[in-house]
Amino acid sequence: MTGQSAPTPPLILLVDDDPTEQLILKRKLQSVDGPKIDLEYVPDIGQAVERVSAGGIDLIFLDNRLIPNNDFRETAPLLRQAGFVGPIGIISSDISGAYFREFREFGVDFRMGKDEIDGNAISFIISEYTRDQLSETCAEDFL
Amino acid sequence: MLEPDAAFHLGPEFDNALNRMDFFRLFKALASNFDARYFALIEVGGDETRFDAHGGHSLHNLPDALLDAKGGFSRDEPLLAHVLVSSAARSFDATDVKSPLLEQGGAQSAVSVPLHTVTAKRFALILLCNRERPDHKELALISHEAALVFQRYFDVILSLDSITGLSDREIQIVRWTSEGKTSAEIAIILGLSEHTVNSYIAAILRKLQVVNRAQMVASALRSGMIN
Repeated sequence: MTGQSAPTPPLILLVDDDPTEQLILKRKLQSVDGPKIDLEYVPDIGQAVERVSAGGIDLIFLDNRLIPNNDFRETAPLLRQAGFVGPIGIISSDISGAYFREFREFGVDFRMGKDEIDGNAISFIISEYTRDQLSETCAEDFL
Repeated sequence: MLEPDAAFHLGPEFDNALNRMDFFRLFKALASNFDARYFALIEVGGDETRFDAHGGHSLHNLPDALLDAKGGFSRDEPLLAHVLVSSAARSFDATDVKSPLLEQGGAQSAVSVPLHTVTAKRFALILLCNRERPDHKELALISHEAALVFQRYFDVILSLDSITGLSDREIQIVRWTSEGKTSAEIAIILGLSEHTVNSYIAAILRKLQVVNRAQMVASALRSGMIN
């Protein structure tokens, strides 16, 4: 026995008013190369805010339009106001709207078409948004 | 017949690309357009004995099983070694070359495209294709499309390394750092993710040519960016 516990799998929160999307994403997650990834699902932004406030979420896939809300410009800031500092990705069947270019101003990290999401893309997202971008000499205790 | 103008990676998303994730999507679409399941854009430096797939500005969708224990490739990997001796793209047939990458990737053929920036940084774009080796016409098309997407990657991402001034957002982040705030705290204050704040800090360090947060704040104070 090594005495080391296994690392906790990354936990993705899917926020989408269409429950079918949860089944589709679950299936796609099974095709991801590498360690297991956990998925939780909520159908609206109110429950998403409650869930992130409880902690433990590593990444959020946020559907662009959640009825009765408007688009991500209304919903993503609510997650930030709840203190969530992990990555938020906007997913939508159509990301061609000009307003998608403003995603960073609303606290969003990336956007992606639903048809672009596959095991391969999810692996990249996990690795990209969990990697250390700063060297050890830039750790916060060097302040 | 291939129709490059109709391709996703040269369509509206080409102009809309803003961050590394967007370029991952563009290169993945380019690869997919030529029946390549995997792609790797790797920075190839001067004297290293291996190439790092996770460091710097590299982008790829290779599974970990195709990388070595340190997350990269040996300098002897033929698909990458090609760009060290040639400035022209080349295609390989799996039966003609002994490439661990090609073999373990289960591909029938591969394409290796040398790319370089105007600031003399060299990269290689590798495609692992599930099809017969692309002929010269297709190779020309792949090279051309790769050069277009790579130039856009340079314009949006790579060129930031050589810009010296700080943006308003970067100055905000230096200010909050000088107040002793951590990345997570700055993320909450500015309504961003911690990842985004760290991306800004990494860019500021490169621009100011410093290595840690204390030097970053000192440099910004000295140059009058903050007071």
